[in-house]
Amino acid sequence: MTTHSNDGYFEAYWPRGERQQKTRALAPRLTDLDGKVVAQLWDYLFKGDEVFALLEEGLRARYPNIRFISWRDFGSTHGDDEKEALAALPARLKALGVDAVISGMAC
Amino acid sequence: MLRASAVCEAAGFPTASLTCEGFFKQAAATSIGLGMPNIALALVPGHIGTKSPAQLRQDVLEVTTAAVIANLTQITQSTNALAEPAAKDIVVRGGFQAVNRYFYAHEYSDGLPIVPPTAEAIAAFMRFTDRDPNEVLGVLLPDRRAATVWTVAVNGVMAGCLPEYMPILIALVEAMADPRYGVEHSGNTPGGDTLIILNGPIIKTLGFNYTQGAMRDGFLPNTSIGRFFRLYLRNVAGFLLHKTDKATFGNTWRVVLAENDDVIKDLGWSNIGTEMGFAADDNVVTIARYTGGGSLSSVSGSTPELLLPYLADSLLRFNNWQITFTTSHGHGTLRPLAVISPIIAQTIAQAGWSKADVQQFLFEHARMPAWVFERQLRDWNIRGVWDLKDDVLNDRIPKVFYESDDPNRMVPIVWRPEDFMIAVGGDPMRNNAYVFAHNAFLGYPVGKRIGLPKDWDRLITELK
Repeated sequence: MTTHSNDGYFEAYWPRGERQQKTRALAPRLTDLDGKVVAQLWDYLFKGDEVFALLEEGLRARYPNIRFISWRDFGSTHGDDEKEALAALPARLKALGVDAVISGMAC
Repeated sequence: MLRASAVCEAAGFPTASLTCEGFFKQAAATSIGLGMPNIALALVPGHIGTKSPAQLRQDVLEVTTAAVIANLTQITQSTNALAEPAAKDIVVRGGFQAVNRYFYAHEYSDGLPIVPPTAEAIAAFMRFTDRDPNEVLGVLLPDRRAATVWTVAVNGVMAGCLPEYMPILIALVEAMADPRYGVEHSGNTPGGDTLIILNGPIIKTLGFNYTQGAMRDGFLPNTSIGRFFRLYLRNVAGFLLHKTDKATFGNTWRVVLAENDDVIKDLGWSNIGTEMGFAADDNVVTIARYTGGGSLSSVSGSTPELLLPYLADSLLRFNNWQITFTTSHGHGTLRPLAVISPIIAQTIAQAGWSKADVQQFLFEHARMPAWVFERQLRDWNIRGVWDLKDDVLNDRIPKVFYESDDPNRMVPIVWRPEDFMIAVGGDPMRNNAYVFAHNAFLGYPVGKRIGLPKDWDRLITELK
């Protein structure tokens, strides 16, 4: 090992801040999607409209009684008013009788 | 998107988050900061932007659908977060090279050597503030870590700043934590970087370069404070490449741009700090994120009418896809920046033009045909279900964007003349300019007054 005679001696502090977010539990999962109401949330980017249409087809093939509330009914979840839009979401989902949510698109 | 999912999960709704392949690592890292490290991700193979309709159909039906079902019906076990040091823990002891190896290995540094943040060095920085080291200036996403005065000093030391820069560093973190700025977007794929603009007498007090080469490294305060900002994004906000920082390309940090306040004052114009709401002689930092830009060489002409068309044209050329923020997506938050050299500003002002006159000219002349505007976003970028007419008719954007059905009608790239920001700096005797493409609400301009300690004058005198 190389010795550095003029390398000094330092006691260096941790440069990061402490995390402020405690781990939270996810919502309980559904046992079955048949007959359930699924909301589509979209940030209006990256072809989400096409993906949601295909997902509806794929999910309906397996769960004939599944229902969807379109992304068109919610507006974008990403934009300069994101904080307000997200704050209003829980009440809106409850009012619409939603059971589960599909959210996109991270690309 | 994950923030929306986290809100839903917290309210009791199970979610599936549609995530392209390249975003899985970022999503996993971001979910820790959201307090839900096991949030459910549904894979979209590859990237959505380059798939044929047939490939997209196959991938969604064969892969994503099954993942969505699993996400909504099965809970993923949470992985235990790794234990971390406490806020004021010493994490390594040793020589300069050993400290640097440790910091690099633990992703605390940017790859260049850092100055070891020791108790003595941190204490020197704390002399230049009256704030408590434990004071929390904000909580920064995506890691949701506490931005304390202490961590400002630590990262300032590491960046090679001098202790007397501490008041500026604190103001910068206050700006970074301001919700209007949107620090949480700093890891997006366009990979923009923040430009810090500085105004006030502190420019001369601390020896910033505010003339020739104003945006080049080479002056300690300009360079090291720019580096500090990037280190703070890394260590406290938590933006790390290959994890939470998804810059497709990215670039090195920008050095601080100190405006030429002397010239601005002589012209009777306002500087950027004043436009952020502060007094003309206040020391102010203003930050905004820019996705790119470039220089305009030899902006020629003896009148504003001759000089400004080149500037207007360049603002259009450099702010191409960024016009998405002018539509309903960004709600008019695009704020392009033009930095003009003093001789250009002086020539314009000699004709009796104010900065507002320049902004009005740019608003009227930095325009493009509506069909070009729509082609950029609808056909070339990511907004397949959108057009200007729909935005205007639904009162989402100003009427100026749809005054007729003529596809050749000229539309602006911002909502208001004052959305164009104009700074004055660089070589006083060269007629060049620099245009920045703005990232809008993903780095909106925010200014903060730099608070000085009560014995600032004495402390500065002692340095001389």
